[in-house]
Amino acid sequence: MERIVGIDLGTTNSLVAFVDGDTPRVIPDPQTGDTLLPSVVAFLEDGRTVVGRQAKEMAAEDPLTTIQSVKRFMGLGMAHVSADDLRRYRFADSQGIVRFALHGKQYTPPEVSALILRSLRERADAFFKEPIDKVVITVPAYFNDSQRQATKDAGKLAGLEVIRLLNEPTAASLAYGLDKKEEGLIAVYDLGGGTFDISILRLHTGIFEVLSTNGDTRLGGDDLDQRIAECFLLAGLSETLQQDPQVLTKSLQIAEEAKRVLSAVEETRLVLDVPEKGVHVSRVLTRRAMEEAIEDIVARTLAPCRQALKDAGLKSRDLEAVVLVGGSTRMPFVRQRVGEFFGRTPLADLNPDEVVALGAAVQADTLSGRRRDMLLLDVVPLSLGIETMGGVMSRLIERNTTIPASVKEMFTTAVDDQTAVDIHVLQGEREMAQDCRSLARFKIPIEPHPAGVPRIEVTFMIDANGILSVTATDLRTGRERSVEVKPSYGLTDEEIERLLEESIDFAEADVSKRLLIEARTEADTVLHATEKALHRHTSFLAEGEGERILTAIRALQESKEGEDYNRIRDLTDALSEVTTPFAQRIMDASIQEALQQKRLSEI
Amino acid sequence: MSSLETVQCWRCSHLHQPTLFCPACQAIQILPLHVEYFRVLGIPRSPVVDETALTQRYYELSRRLHPDLYQTGTAEEKEASLKNTALLNRAYRTLRDPVQRGQYWLELHGERLGRDNNRVPPELAALVFAVQEKLAEIREARAEGKAAGQDELAQIRTDLDEQMTHLRTALAEHLAQWGRDGEGDREGRTASLLSTLKNLLSEIAYLRTLIRDVEKDSDPQWNA
Repeated sequence: MERIVGIDLGTTNSLVAFVDGDTPRVIPDPQTGDTLLPSVVAFLEDGRTVVGRQAKEMAAEDPLTTIQSVKRFMGLGMAHVSADDLRRYRFADSQGIVRFALHGKQYTPPEVSALILRSLRERADAFFKEPIDKVVITVPAYFNDSQRQATKDAGKLAGLEVIRLLNEPTAASLAYGLDKKEEGLIAVYDLGGGTFDISILRLHTGIFEVLSTNGDTRLGGDDLDQRIAECFLLAGLSETLQQDPQVLTKSLQIAEEAKRVLSAVEETRLVLDVPEKGVHVSRVLTRRAMEEAIEDIVARTLAPCRQALKDAGLKSRDLEAVVLVGGSTRMPFVRQRVGEFFGRTPLADLNPDEVVALGAAVQADTLSGRRRDMLLLDVVPLSLGIETMGGVMSRLIERNTTIPASVKEMFTTAVDDQTAVDIHVLQGEREMAQDCRSLARFKIPIEPHPAGVPRIEVTFMIDANGILSVTATDLRTGRERSVEVKPSYGLTDEEIERLLEESIDFAEADVSKRLLIEARTEADTVLHATEKALHRHTSFLAEGEGERILTAIRALQESKEGEDYNRIRDLTDALSEVTTPFAQRIMDASIQEALQQKRLSEI
Repeated sequence: MSSLETVQCWRCSHLHQPTLFCPACQAIQILPLHVEYFRVLGIPRSPVVDETALTQRYYELSRRLHPDLYQTGTAEEKEASLKNTALLNRAYRTLRDPVQRGQYWLELHGERLGRDNNRVPPELAALVFAVQEKLAEIREARAEGKAAGQDELAQIRTDLDEQMTHLRTALAEHLAQWGRDGEGDREGRTASLLSTLKNLLSEIAYLRTLIRDVEKDSDPQWNA
């Protein structure tokens, strides 16, 4: 059975997990034993990259050649980059998709994420001692189509087959539901490093049904760090120093550390030292002062909570439990505000850093066919529609519709001999197209006819990953064709192809090569033995058996020409299986013969 | 749809009436899209449904159809699973909600609510007029920088919600009545049932738009 692992590709940290027997477990780094991999990539001048803890340490010294929190840029265009971002990252001077500029080269967010995924993959490869190429990757529930597509592209660039994108709060609910064996209505409040999600679910006899979801894909621990740094470290510095990337990055790291420490103690000392810039700040920060500074940011999570409850048609008293997920929910202040909002003490006994990855592993187990007792019914977080006359967004699939979801729309032409219909796909809740997120534009070619004659039925399908595909059927000819949807802020297929070719992973090639050699050697052994037996013991073959064995031999020989070691192994097994009765007969006969010889000798 | 329609199983070529699984080899089949939602879910064709039974049926079918269960399957199985689950989800969503079910029932009888039918239903005229006037006042006050009448908005909301509850109850009763009567062959009876249903649904649709407008004014940040 194929092995699929679960990956939590987080803003701050990433993890990989699998199901061991019945229990989901995180796979640690084979050298250090760390379970969390900081989602930081450092780009060295010689073109090499460093991922993880070491990269995070390098970030403090050389912030502009390291990329942190890349998840915040997934699926976005340069138009979405903020003034704060411009201080902390160096971008290429380009239009469309976000591109980071590093040592004269450009990298898109999916490429940077792919490096993090590769690092996790190496962990898994080392752990299982075989290459792992199938994964479930989690995404914030509130990620739109472009952000999901970008995550899938990152997987592809890392040489992984992304079997499923799974919503983070849903993944957490799986791990929670398994652990607690509880049923009923629950809310999952997921405040991570860079994103916020709230999902309301009904757990019922192994079915995890998402009733509604909401959130903010640019709200998380990063914003809290930023605020703490601004209020308590940068406030007294000159404008120039506040803009200095090194001062800023160090301040953010100190703020993050202080935030963590203040979950356990009432006060701590902040020390910011950048001697080469003449900066020295040292002061005491109390938990109370920090909480006042971040109060409005935490409050921003509550409107989505209200909306999610409303969309589910529920009141907070209807809920069985409120589950906390994400590192930021370790803060007592967050727990307190969530508790006040829902009118109950939230549950925080699962490790908030690991629960999403563990849930992803459980879902991977289901997808591999090992598990059949649980089923997720998830939803699309944002309404999907198309631009119609006057720039109005016409909704086709409402938010919180269970996926997979499909809808059909009929299109025709407005003028004679029109040869295409333009379709602009949008996602969002606003009424005007310009206020919604543009997902894609495409043309449906049409044979020339008088206006209004063509009948084109367009099907919009959102699959179980929350990703859109489009097919168009000409109702007059019955011809169906899929439509290439060019993402507004994404990589094209050609671009992915080119990047993949450029990034030949030597380590991976080595492992594959070794496994290929082993498989071919084993195949040769079996082939040789079979051919010898066929030649010597032809009389032992049953009716039609020779044919079957020869077919299996030919298939195996053919597969040996190729590079697919799994196929060679499978066909080797197949040949062994088909020759088993034949071998048994030869064996039996030789035993008989041996016995007879014995008798002869006894005489 | 003709009840004599037959389709061929992609796997064993068995001819059968459209079903989710081939009666001969049990392989998952792509259900034609025109199959009525009641048949997709395997429940009686009626404007009233037993919601508990409906949900239970939906869960049962999801457990057999969902793409998660066909991840390792063939291309045909994957496609059938995806398309059928999308259809099942739409069928469930439609039949679960009385308003959507009512609209669907209307369509099954060859009628539909005009999407851009903006005429104020006569029964709502007085309420609509009062609300629009109040909203205009509040907007004007806001434009002049005065604190807006949150309390008044809340009152409007309460009135509208009450009206909505009232209409939904009326709709449920109407659908139940229809379910009890059956359709029979009394042409005139069906026509009158249809016309009442249509009126109720357009009132609900109109009220919904109005509530959305009021919400936008109550919580401008949310929509910003």
